[in-house]
Amino acid sequence: MQDSNPFSFTIVITGAPYSSQAPQSALNFAEAAIKAGHRVERVFLYGDGVHLASALASPPSDEPHWPREWSAFLEKHSIPGVACIASALRRGLVDEGEQKRYELSASNLLTPFVIAGLGEWVEGRMTSSRTLYFHGSD
Amino acid sequence: MTEIQTLHILNKSPEHPRFTRCLSMAGPEDAVLLIENGVLGLGTASASVSGKLLALEADMAARGMGGQSGTVESVDYDAMVELTTRAQQVISW
Amino acid sequence: MSTLIVIDQPPYGGWAGREALDMAFSLAAFDQPVSLLFCGAGVNWLRKGQEPGTVRQKSVEKNLAAAPIFGVEALLADSDDCNRYGLEPGRLLDGVTLVRTDAQLFAGYSHTAFAG
Repeated sequence: MQDSNPFSFTIVITGAPYSSQAPQSALNFAEAAIKAGHRVERVFLYGDGVHLASALASPPSDEPHWPREWSAFLEKHSIPGVACIASALRRGLVDEGEQKRYELSASNLLTPFVIAGLGEWVEGRMTSSRTLYFHGSD
Repeated sequence: MTEIQTLHILNKSPEHPRFTRCLSMAGPEDAVLLIENGVLGLGTASASVSGKLLALEADMAARGMGGQSGTVESVDYDAMVELTTRAQQVISW
Repeated sequence: MSTLIVIDQPPYGGWAGREALDMAFSLAAFDQPVSLLFCGAGVNWLRKGQEPGTVRQKSVEKNLAAAPIFGVEALLADSDDCNRYGLEPGRLLDGVTLVRTDAQLFAGYSHTAFAG
């Protein structure tokens, strides 16, 4: 069913995959929002939520691969996925640029995620009709 | 379609301090949507929420509480999206 | 379109509170109106005399003291929770306003967020 009054959403995920249900709930919500004809403007990973953008997560094959499921969803709908740079660097999540800057041995950011500052969240907060948070439940 | 002042999305179990605080803050024109571990507090919540109480179907079913959907308005993700567009404000606890 | 950032986690034992502060400062840096509410165990951020060098962490006391300069409109603290943690007004950092955390308080903001 298409909604006659489309909304735009910024989705913020602060709970990590495999230690919280947040990435999973957020994905179900985002899929339903698009199905209803709304727009997901941007997904912002903050705090422990940045672990969702790890290219190295390797869950057992009979468990859902949340980073890959999110990555496929973002690519399919051309939605920017942004991991907060301060949260990401602290937790060992880096792209090639940060790898060079800090002279690290590897980078591990899953495409299409990018690393950027909290300004991306502020912008989403200002321009989207709704900014929705998915936290861990501890 | 009735207006919702604030939609409170509550994913914490009833043991979490945010659970009690959320329920005490929700006013008569608000709606509380229990998701994830929040559905475990259905009994506690239905006794104390002054506004509308809803719970996410998938999270209830996962926890063996599908049979209790008669005691609360259970919603799917499509309805959750609709609730967020009907509410003036959404707070995730 | 004012934002209320809520901190209900205690300081130093976790990072969510610090990351909530970053959210508030970031909004202020973009000239967006923002206030901070400390409630629950979060009121312990506001205790005078923190020396977190002992656990090799940075003190937030200075950050909070500079909050008005950076453009954070108000530092609010739940008065009942301050009482529960023995935080009489004299033990609180300067510039903190005691409030009741209720629906009326939240109604004054268009957006309310926790950091995690």
